[in-house]
Amino acid sequence: MTASYQHMPLAQVEPGMVLSDELLDVQGHVLLPQGTILTQAMIALMPRHGIAMLPIAVLAEPTEEEVAASQERHLERLDHLFRKNDPDSDQDWATALLRRFVTDYRLGALPVEE
Amino acid sequence: MLNYDDIVNNLEDLPSLPAVVMELLNSIDQEDVDISVLAKKVSHDQALTAKTLRLANSSLYGLQVKVTTIQQAITFLGFQTTRNLITAAAVTGCFAEKQCKGFDHKAFWRHSIASAACARVLARQMRFNQDYAFTAGLLHDIGRLVLVACFPKDYEKAVAYRDEHDCYMIEAERAVLGIDHVDAGMALAGHWNFSDTMKLAIAHHHTPEAQGAGFLSAIIHVADAIAHALDLAQMPNGLVPPVSTVAWTALGLDEEVYLQLFRETELQYEEIALVLLS
Repeated sequence: MTASYQHMPLAQVEPGMVLSDELLDVQGHVLLPQGTILTQAMIALMPRHGIAMLPIAVLAEPTEEEVAASQERHLERLDHLFRKNDPDSDQDWATALLRRFVTDYRLGALPVEE
Repeated sequence: MLNYDDIVNNLEDLPSLPAVVMELLNSIDQEDVDISVLAKKVSHDQALTAKTLRLANSSLYGLQVKVTTIQQAITFLGFQTTRNLITAAAVTGCFAEKQCKGFDHKAFWRHSIASAACARVLARQMRFNQDYAFTAGLLHDIGRLVLVACFPKDYEKAVAYRDEHDCYMIEAERAVLGIDHVDAGMALAGHWNFSDTMKLAIAHHHTPEAQGAGFLSAIIHVADAIAHALDLAQMPNGLVPPVSTVAWTALGLDEEVYLQLFRETELQYEEIALVLLS
């Protein structure tokens, strides 16, 4: 699993870029597997499948400090957005749960594989 | 302080939707509409047609061919979906930006579009009608625009009250205006002849646990909260509303599903916003 990706319009995609996710067509069939290095021919075929945006892996791995700083920013922002929620309140547990899920999402926690 | 009648009396001054869009809204529950006549009428409005077709050709609908006319869009996407796209394109362009200090029109629509995208993704997960969910998500807060358009000075005071007390906007509306955006939304829904399904969702997006609120209200309620939590509107004073335990339980989804839905919502949001906010 690539940690970071960018959702890029087809016009900006260049050969040599890497797919961060598997690419599905309308019926849900896999067109290209995750990690595919895109070629000119592949990119040219995308419009035929109705695909206008591609998930592109961001290759430069951020440093540990950068990751920590970005996670810190996310947590601060979530603290702000959920400032009215009391996580210990019995009445407000649904909001607390939403907060936990969005926090996991922002910090990149992957759902536990069954 | 204002009351419900003050809103109703001011509705006549509001921008009206193109006649054909009114027709579409009124017929949302009907199946026996003459599609070709409607398609022809919409085609006369070039701006509306262009926006609708851009939405239809976005990757949300994954069409294999590019549609170039409304009639084609109906053929490939179906009448229901096309009608919803036309409505979305029309409504987002219909309110002029009124001078009202502290009210950010762009942020308003960013949040509405985020809610619509999320409601659509939730509806698919719940096997509920995705088109209803999308439109209801887009329109759930439309009452705010009514208040801003009819009473801009009063709404400025409500925004100031919100900033001062750091409360929810709906509380500030009630404290300053005496009415809130749900009342105003209902008045507009009546005036514009929204379907009963849409009216219920607008009426109960803050109270999905109310008797007879309906399942769509629960979807819109949760989608609204998720849109705030994902921070898609990027409002500096963003605040996640309390999530109704009844609505949350009614959806009954687990964390793994939510993480998927969050990501899909973000992706769909980007694409819809690109079309509707241009």
